[in-house]
Amino acid sequence: MSHSEFSRANNSCSVTRRRLLTGAGALAVLGSRPASAVLKLDVTQGNVQPMPIALPDFVSGGQGEGDTGRNVTGVITNNLQRSGLFAPINPAAFIEKITNSDSVPRFPDWRAINAQALVTGRMTRQSDGRLKAEFRLWDVFAGTQLDGKQYFTTPDNWRRIAHIISDAVYERLTGEKGYFDSRIVFVDETGPKDRRVKRLAIMDQDGAGVRYLTRGDDLVLTPRFNPSTQEITYMSYGQGDPRVYLLNIETGQREIVGNFPGMTFAPRFSPDGQRVIMSLQQGGNANLFVMDLRSKQTTRLTDTPAIDTAPCYSPDGTRICFESDRGGSQQIYVMPAGGGAAQRISFGDGHHSTPVWSPRGDYIAFTGQARGNFAIGILKPDGSGERVLTEGFHNEGPTFAPNGRVLMFFRDVGQGPALFTIDITGRNEAKVPTPSYASDPAWSPLLS
Amino acid sequence: MRKATAISAGLHAAVLLWATLSFSGKTFDVTPAESLPVDLVSEKDFSQITKGVKDAPKVEMPKPMAEKKAEEPPKPVEEAKPKITEKKEVQAAKDSSPPEPQKAQPDPIAEKIKQQDDPKQTKLDQPLPPKKPPPKPQPKFEPDKIAALLDKRDPQRVAAAGPELNEASLGAVNGTAAQLSQSEIDALRARLKQCWNPPVGAADASKLYVVFRVLFKRDGTLQTNPVLVEAPPSQVGPVLAESAKRALLQCQPYTMLKPEHYDQWKDMQITFDPREMFGG
Repeated sequence: MSHSEFSRANNSCSVTRRRLLTGAGALAVLGSRPASAVLKLDVTQGNVQPMPIALPDFVSGGQGEGDTGRNVTGVITNNLQRSGLFAPINPAAFIEKITNSDSVPRFPDWRAINAQALVTGRMTRQSDGRLKAEFRLWDVFAGTQLDGKQYFTTPDNWRRIAHIISDAVYERLTGEKGYFDSRIVFVDETGPKDRRVKRLAIMDQDGAGVRYLTRGDDLVLTPRFNPSTQEITYMSYGQGDPRVYLLNIETGQREIVGNFPGMTFAPRFSPDGQRVIMSLQQGGNANLFVMDLRSKQTTRLTDTPAIDTAPCYSPDGTRICFESDRGGSQQIYVMPAGGGAAQRISFGDGHHSTPVWSPRGDYIAFTGQARGNFAIGILKPDGSGERVLTEGFHNEGPTFAPNGRVLMFFRDVGQGPALFTIDITGRNEAKVPTPSYASDPAWSPLLS
Repeated sequence: MRKATAISAGLHAAVLLWATLSFSGKTFDVTPAESLPVDLVSEKDFSQITKGVKDAPKVEMPKPMAEKKAEEPPKPVEEAKPKITEKKEVQAAKDSSPPEPQKAQPDPIAEKIKQQDDPKQTKLDQPLPPKKPPPKPQPKFEPDKIAALLDKRDPQRVAAAGPELNEASLGAVNGTAAQLSQSEIDALRARLKQCWNPPVGAADASKLYVVFRVLFKRDGTLQTNPVLVEAPPSQVGPVLAESAKRALLQCQPYTMLKPEHYDQWKDMQITFDPREMFGG
């Protein structure tokens, strides 16, 4: 897939990074004016609310691409709306009808419906059969183009294109990377409660394109993505002891990680994808081990008469957070990646388990258990700033979106589990559509 | 007894009748008072009106005159002082050798003969008659100034009398009464707060703010696009600046700014700083 940025139209007024860097110089020039003539005002509070954005259907550059354009716009609209940071405007309110995505829109028409941003685009079938997707992002009130890109892909890949465009719009307007072009691996659950069939499944982050990775013969748990390759690791109860497996998503190839005497569980990749860290149960205890995937060499990281499990690397790979009951109850500890002294960081109410380090490194998400309720919360790696995001009968297994802004977890209110997303601010909780019951989600890194 | 009762009743009736007639006069008409125009002046406005201005130009007010002014005193005569600038330096005798002895000795006989020949010398020896002192200058009698002549009060030397009035305390013509009030600034700030939707990415930046220079028209709209004048380099910087610019453009016109204060709000420097709201 190739993409290139095409010329920006009318961007003379847009604020570029260089301009920001030279801002101090500009101040010095303006500073020569008499200071008394300028009234100074500080605005330190804003009104964080979903940004109204207009997303008219992408126009068709040829014959028969009208549906594709509409579908792409639909996916982008859905993505942006689900993020909670944008409020797509109802197309019925649009005054101007976009017929040519190359011309500058009539900004007063879009201002009239209070749109702050506008996305126009075009889908064209090339002579070689490929699909060309173009889009432009406009700042309606400043009257400038903020972004403009084009992509080439196969026609059946339009959904992916829509996610990539969503990410571009998200990043340009919020200042941080998007997370739409990513996938979720989860455990799909069907059948009655006493005879649940659990299969590994993968889908786009918006719930589209579900694909099953295992047949459902074995009981599978805790799938985790490899940060760098199309590989997942999970735990499976097959014949005999539960084991940790590696599975290549593309080829379907499967292998056992290590050959330990005892049960292995709670696997997770290191940030470079070269190692797998997991728990090994020996007797009544469980300790942490790390295995190098190339040399197959294993290293023991903890040696305690307690249950140490759910290990997770920090994004820089220097530290590990894990759950342990060495202090009497399940709490979160942090230790160096090579093992050593562990420091307890969770001191809040009740138990803390299943810690997950944010890809940004700023937070560790956990499942909290207190007073018969399960909560999803976050705290900083030094143990400060503990915050509960959602609480209820059963919430478990948080996983971070690639940008560290959104968490996905599963919730079971009685009948069966379902997937939910929530912002790390605790707002914008939303259910993720799945074909049936779903649990144990794991968010992939960005695909592009 | 009956007679007395009758008289008493009659008198009572008479008093009652008189009172009824005399007290039930015309009704009192309340003349409606004319309504007075009242300006509601806030404490701040009042203090601004009466406030002195430190850097205001000094106003020269005509000083009240004294009733009687002394005559111009005669100019003191300059004393003829010898100028000492040309004072010659006393030269020490260069020659330390003793002076030469006088060659010619005066002849006393020749002197005497000379005195007899000179008649002026003898006149000078006689005493001179005493001179008359010059007459005192008498004030000239002017009939127009009789009143002044009769005024026997001591003359006052200076014209100014009494303490000078502090003009500034009464409020200068170009004082600060027309100053932008705090409520207008607060209203503008509240409006911008309502309009400004800072990007969520800004929450991660610990040191982030943008400063815009904004030129307004008298009707409260923006004269030009806001100009970015200061921003620390940051990944989120451009997005933050755009959000602030969008807020400024979207929320115009700013009608809370009163046209009479236009001079003060036509040029503003507005800082958008999300650190406080994101708990940075």
